[in-house]
Order: sequence, then C-alpha cells, then structure tokens
Amino acid sequence: MQMLHVREGRAMKQNKKKSSRPVEVNLKNVKRQSPLLIWSAVFLAYGVLFYYVPLAGWVMAFQNYKPKTGLLRSKFVGMAKFEFLFSDHTFLRVIRNTFAMGVLNLVCTFVMAIGFAILLNEIKSRFGKRTVQTISYLPHFLSWIIVVGILHDALSSTGIVNEMLVRMHLISSPISFFSHPRLFWPIVAFAHVWKETGWNAIIYLAAITSIDPSLYEAAAIDGAGRWQKIKYITLPGIRPTIMILLLLNIGNVLNAGFEVQYLMRNGLIQSVTDTIDIYVLTWGISQSDFSVGTAAGIFKSAVAIALIVIANGIAKRTGEERLF
Amino acid sequence: MKKRQATSLLLTTVLAASAFVVGVQADEYSEDQIHNWTFFGAMPQPEINDGNDIQEIIAKKIGARVKETWLTGQSAEEAVGTIIASGEYPDFIDGGDGMKQLYDADALIAWDDYIDQYPNIKELYSDAEWDKFRQDDGHIYWANVFQNSYGENRSTTHNDEAFWIQVKVLEWGGYPKLQTLDDYYDLLERYAEANPTLEDGTAVIPYTMLCEDWRYFCLENAPEFLDGYPNDGSVIVDTEKLKIVDYNTTPTAKMYFSKLNEEYQKGIIDKEFATQTYDEYIAKLSTGAVLGMCDQWWDFAYTINDVFKTTGLDLKGCNYVPLGLTAEAGMDNMWHTYADTLNNSSGLAITTSCDDVDAAFKFINDLLDQEIHDLRFWGVEGVDYLVDENGMYYRTEEMRMQAADTEYKASHLCGYSYFPQWLGTSKDGINAMQPSEQTSEFFAGLAEPLVKCFEAYGAENYPDMIGSVNKELGNWFPMYSYSNAMTTETAGGVAWTKMGDTKHEWLPKVVMASDFESAWESYMEAYSKCKPEDFLAEMQEELERRAAAAE
Repeated sequence: MQMLHVREGRAMKQNKKKSSRPVEVNLKNVKRQSPLLIWSAVFLAYGVLFYYVPLAGWVMAFQNYKPKTGLLRSKFVGMAKFEFLFSDHTFLRVIRNTFAMGVLNLVCTFVMAIGFAILLNEIKSRFGKRTVQTISYLPHFLSWIIVVGILHDALSSTGIVNEMLVRMHLISSPISFFSHPRLFWPIVAFAHVWKETGWNAIIYLAAITSIDPSLYEAAAIDGAGRWQKIKYITLPGIRPTIMILLLLNIGNVLNAGFEVQYLMRNGLIQSVTDTIDIYVLTWGISQSDFSVGTAAGIFKSAVAIALIVIANGIAKRTGEERLF
Repeated sequence: MKKRQATSLLLTTVLAASAFVVGVQADEYSEDQIHNWTFFGAMPQPEINDGNDIQEIIAKKIGARVKETWLTGQSAEEAVGTIIASGEYPDFIDGGDGMKQLYDADALIAWDDYIDQYPNIKELYSDAEWDKFRQDDGHIYWANVFQNSYGENRSTTHNDEAFWIQVKVLEWGGYPKLQTLDDYYDLLERYAEANPTLEDGTAVIPYTMLCEDWRYFCLENAPEFLDGYPNDGSVIVDTEKLKIVDYNTTPTAKMYFSKLNEEYQKGIIDKEFATQTYDEYIAKLSTGAVLGMCDQWWDFAYTINDVFKTTGLDLKGCNYVPLGLTAEAGMDNMWHTYADTLNNSSGLAITTSCDDVDAAFKFINDLLDQEIHDLRFWGVEGVDYLVDENGMYYRTEEMRMQAADTEYKASHLCGYSYFPQWLGTSKDGINAMQPSEQTSEFFAGLAEPLVKCFEAYGAENYPDMIGSVNKELGNWFPMYSYSNAMTTETAGGVAWTKMGDTKHEWLPKVVMASDFESAWESYMEAYSKCKPEDFLAEMQEELERRAAAAE
C-alpha cells in the first residue's frame, strides 16, 4: 500500500506538470501503472455492480409494477406515478417536513459540533479534555431505538422533564410533548444534537490540533486575547474542513432521518413527522405500490444531486474548498 | 395409615402412567421424523419457548411442530410487504390485513384440491362458506380460523366492541341503568370525583382511548354502534334500502365527538390518549386505574383479565363489563354479534415456499383432531384440567391461576392460536371446545364483584350484560372483510387509505380542540378532500354483489 501511495503521488505530480499532454497509452506505462489499474478495476466493478446495476430498478417508477409480473412484464404507465405523487398533498407535505428537519438538524449539529470542539480545545487539562470528549461521543454508538426510548421516557407526562418543570413551578400541569406538532421538529433536532455533537466534534478537534502553534504564540505576543485567537486563528484555520463537511452534508439534507421520525410519530402529529422515507415505506411496502415508492425515491435522489451541485457551484464561485 | 395409602396410590398411578407412556411410545414419531415448519403471524402475540411441553407432546403425536414468529414493532402491511420484497416466505402465514398483497404476489398455494382430502379441514366450513373465500381467480387460498362454532354455540363472553366499565364503578353507583353516553360519562365523572386515587395513590384515569395505528377503531367507529348497527366495521349498511351509509359524517358521529371533546376539556379523558402506544395502553389498564374505555374484547381482555387474576385486582372490582350504549335512550343495540362471523379477508395460508404441501395440510388436519384440539386449548389432562365422572372437564383454582401465568403459558401451553380451531361444543358432546366457553368454568373463574354485578343486572354472562338484540344479519355481513382487503389499485382503495390517514390526524385533534365547532368543520373539509364517495361507491357495489350472490 505504501508503495502505491508513493507512485500515485508521483503520477499525479507528473500529470499536473504536463497537463497539456496526457500520459501516453503504451505498454510501458500500462506496466508501470499496473497495480493502479488492477485496483481501479476492482473499484470500478464494485461501483458498477452495487451503484449502477441497481439503478435498473428505477424502471419500476414508470411501470405499474406488480411482484407477480416482475420488471419485465409489468405494464408501462409513463409518468403517471409521478403525476400521482405531485398531486398528492401528503407528498408535498412530506417534502416540506424532510427539508425542514434536514436543515434544522444540519444547522444545529453543525454549530454545536464546531462550538463544542472550540470549547474543548480551550481546556488545558489533558485528562479533563479526554474525559469530556470520550463521554460526549458515547451517545453516537447508541442506536436510534434506544435514544427514542430514552426520549419517550424523559418526555412522558411522568418523565423527568415534566417532573422537573412542575417542581420548579414553571408549568402547572405536565406538557404532552408528543401531541404538539410545533414541538416535534425541535425534539428531533435536539435528539440529533445530543447524539452526534461529540462525535462530529472529533474531526474539528483534529483540524484544530493541526494549526501551527506559532500562530497562537505570535498572536499572544501581539496581545490577542482568547476570544480574538478563536476568531482570527482557530476558525479560519478549520475553515476548509468546515466547508468540505458542509458540502458533504448538504447532499444529505434529504436524509433527514427515518428511524427517529418513524419511532416517535403518532397519528395526531403525522402532518409534521412524516419524511420522504416514511412515505416511501408506506406506499412502497405497506401498500405494495413499489412504483410510487420508487418514484418518490428517484425524486429524492434528483433533489440531492441538484443540491450538492448548487452548493459546490457556490463554493467554487466564492473561492472556497469544494468537492469537484 | 393414611400416609401409606396415599403412597401406594401414588405408586400405582406412577406405574399406570409409565405403562401408558410405554404403550403410546410405540407409535410416536421420533425426532428425525418430526417435520419442522415455520409460521409468521402479522399480529403481535407472545412467543412460546422452544421445547414447550405441549408443543413437544403434539409433535410426537402428529409428527410436526411449528416455530411461530409474530409481528414486532411494525404494521401488518409493512411486515408482509417486507416479506414479499424479500421473496422468502415462511411455510405458513397469516398476513392479517396484508393477505391480499400475498395473493397478488402469487405467494400462496390454492387449497381447492386439498380440502376434500382432509375431512377435518373440509368440516370447518360449509360449501357456501368456503365459496366466500374464493378470490377473483376462483380459488381458495386461506381459511379464517376464528369465530367458528362446532355444534351448539357456547359463547359466554362479548367478543366484540363496547364501552367498558369497571364493575366497582357500577357497584359504587348502585348498579344504575346506563343507556347513553351522557349516563356513562356522568357516572365516570362522579366516581372519579369521589375516588380520585387508587389505594396505592395512583391517580385514576376515568376514560382513555387507544388510537395507535389500526387499533384506532377504539376511537373512530363507535358512531356505527351508537346508531344501533352491527359491526360492519367500516360502514353502516341500511338494511331496508340496501344502502351503504358513511358513519363518519352522521349527526351521531358529531354528537359523539363533541361529547368526547367536552369530557376532554373537563379532564375526564386521559391527556395522553392521542400519543399512547398499545403497550402503554395495556400497561395503564393493568394497573386498574382506568375506569372505562371503548374497545374490542379480544384487544385487551385476554391480557388484562389474566393480569387482574394474578395481581388480585379482580377481587377489588377492576374487571370490565360491556355496556350497550346507544345515541338515544331506549334504542335497540347490536354491539354483540350472536352468530359466527366469517371474516373472509384473512386467515391461515400456505406459501409457495412450503416444500411439502400435502404434509402441511395433514398437519392442519391433525391439529383439528379432538384429542389434539383438547391439548391445544385445555392442556394436559391431570395437569391443566381434570375430568369428573360425567366426562365434564374442570379446573381447580390453582390450575386456573397457572393458566393465567405468563411464564407457564410460554413454557407449557401451546395453542397454535392462529391455526384453524373450533369454538362451540366438543365432539364428545359434553364439553366446550375451549375452556373460556365452558359454562361451569366460566362461572368458577369469575371474581366475586363480577358475579355480584351480573346478578344486579339479571345477567348470566357478558352478552346478557350488553343486551344486544338478536337480529339475523344479512349475508353480506361483515362488510369490513371487503374494506380490509382493499389495495390502492382502485380509486376506492386510495380514498380508504387517505380517509384513514386523515382520521388518524383529525379525530384526536377534534377531541382536543378548544373550539369544537370550527375544528369539526376543518376536519369535515379535510375528510371530503379524500373523496370518501369513491370508497363508498365500491362498498355499495360489493354490498350489491354479496346480496345478489345470496339469492
């Protein structure tokens, strides 16, 4: 592997130098790059097999697919399934929910993770820092079903939250948290923040440690305080990391979640809980209409691709780090 | 002297028993002859232990055992959908509301060629009844296993929906005659005011209702019964004009929900009703704190009555009795279904994954042998029940307690409860097929406060208590067997799905609204957007088809 990296690096450098003239395809070059070629073949095969071949299933979205007749013999119905989707006001509602929760989760977890990493970095005691860090990322390893169980207990009418609020005389009778549509999105965002802040902070902490300490020393000599050091050195120092992660996550906005919403939903607040994934499940699996499910899935993928291209374009234009 | 007698008696019994065992072993199946089947039931049920006593006895007698798995944390349709998508089926399946999907996916074996070969299976239904199971391709793919009586009907319970109330509340109120919702909530209110907590300090919950997933019938379909109609489930059938009526929009529906709203505002209805899960609901009922609710007997009683028995709450009058409430006092009610109900929309099916279909049918056939049937529902003679000199089965109090114990049920009892079975009278002509219907057993198992309550109302059992009229039902009954099987293939099916979604959201909202009138109006608006007329038209068509088929 080590060898490979070195060679790869060399090849890339050569490429850059003579970018006007691509590497000639001849026996010598092929032989020289044979490990690279073999490895790429493996990944190419993997990509084709697991990412492109399954896309053939998208055909379902344009058929009236039945398990009985299968992909080959089901009737084609053109765009009828998409028409059904966009005339269904439930679908429009789940798009709204998915976006809202996706954006809310993204903003909250992002801000919290960066803030947390910076605060943690300011702790001088190594032991204290390690302890806090370890404890804070533990929730990441809990599965959602457990997190939701904890939330359900904590927020029930006899749960710790209501108990505390009542004892502190902030409210007179327990709040039924899961029957107010307005509280659902914040609860989901809170759950994400609680679960992922510690974990997401790790990467920023790593980025912070790679900032040249002499910058801080110089700043200290110039009389910069803690706050100014954060503002002028730490934040700009981790900016490339922030940008790359932001771009990656924007493509994920529509993956606002499935388990959390699915496990915490109830009939009363379904108009704010259901995401595209839940919609796909209800129509695709419960109602056995694979076609509508697939159509909704395609829509989701298309939007995700559009989002990431747009975000990348903006990053490019403003001269930030970008993906492609 | 006595001791010695007892010892010798014991010895003789042991000798006799071992002789018996040796005798039988000759034609028992050995382990490698036993066929192991798999079964999936799309409904939550307690799983029994591997090596369960009766399961092993049955396996040795008929050469087959079934590993049953049940629904956990999904809806029936999701579970069935997942199985179809994977293409890997268990040998036997009861897909609940997802049967139609299994049929559409060509996953089931047709029964037609087998029914005649297996007399116990054939006997389950008359030819006309079997015909009701035929799908649109003319074949039979499943048989419902419930509500089917052999010989004389022995029903002692009200295995249907009702407004239930704890007997202690009735006793406190001096056993009043409750006829309307007003009477009912008035009593609950007064009782709760006088007895705000249980002995242990738990606050009483005067009324709760479940609205989780498909179980939201506890909230939604009472208007149909309040108007005096039987359990067609999804619609009312106007028998005179042979017309489908939507019970969601009747004046009674509005009256019922406005009453719920009023009670909710007064704090009589559980604040958490809209968000509770089935497990939470059962947990609440188990504490004895809930005074009343609207539900189907089978949805709570099997669990709750056993819990009350083991915790002694039954002696404190926590058992529930059904009330035949109607929209106005003095109307006839049809909450109770006297005859067997044939629900052709679901049942036990054999899948295409089953490698030996004949053996599978033989297994079902064997399960219906009276000897095996007794093992399934009564248990082992001498351990779970005794037989008196007239051949009548009975149980001691200890046996009854044992049969109510969860541990014991898992390790010892094996009912194969979602396989074909009988209610009514045993083939011996003396006993009931299942202990819950044995009259003597029924009375012996009743707690004191319950007996007093029955006496006060001059009732002998639950059906007497609810006092429904015994009118013959049209052959189209129950219409829910059609709506349960609807898929989104048709406009009516799409409407049915959307109506369900809308009601899930709006009914709790309407109950909790501070301004009922405007909430009801918004609900009606949202409801009409689902195009209920498409659904009703298809139901009307089916009603006419069924009525014509009978002639």
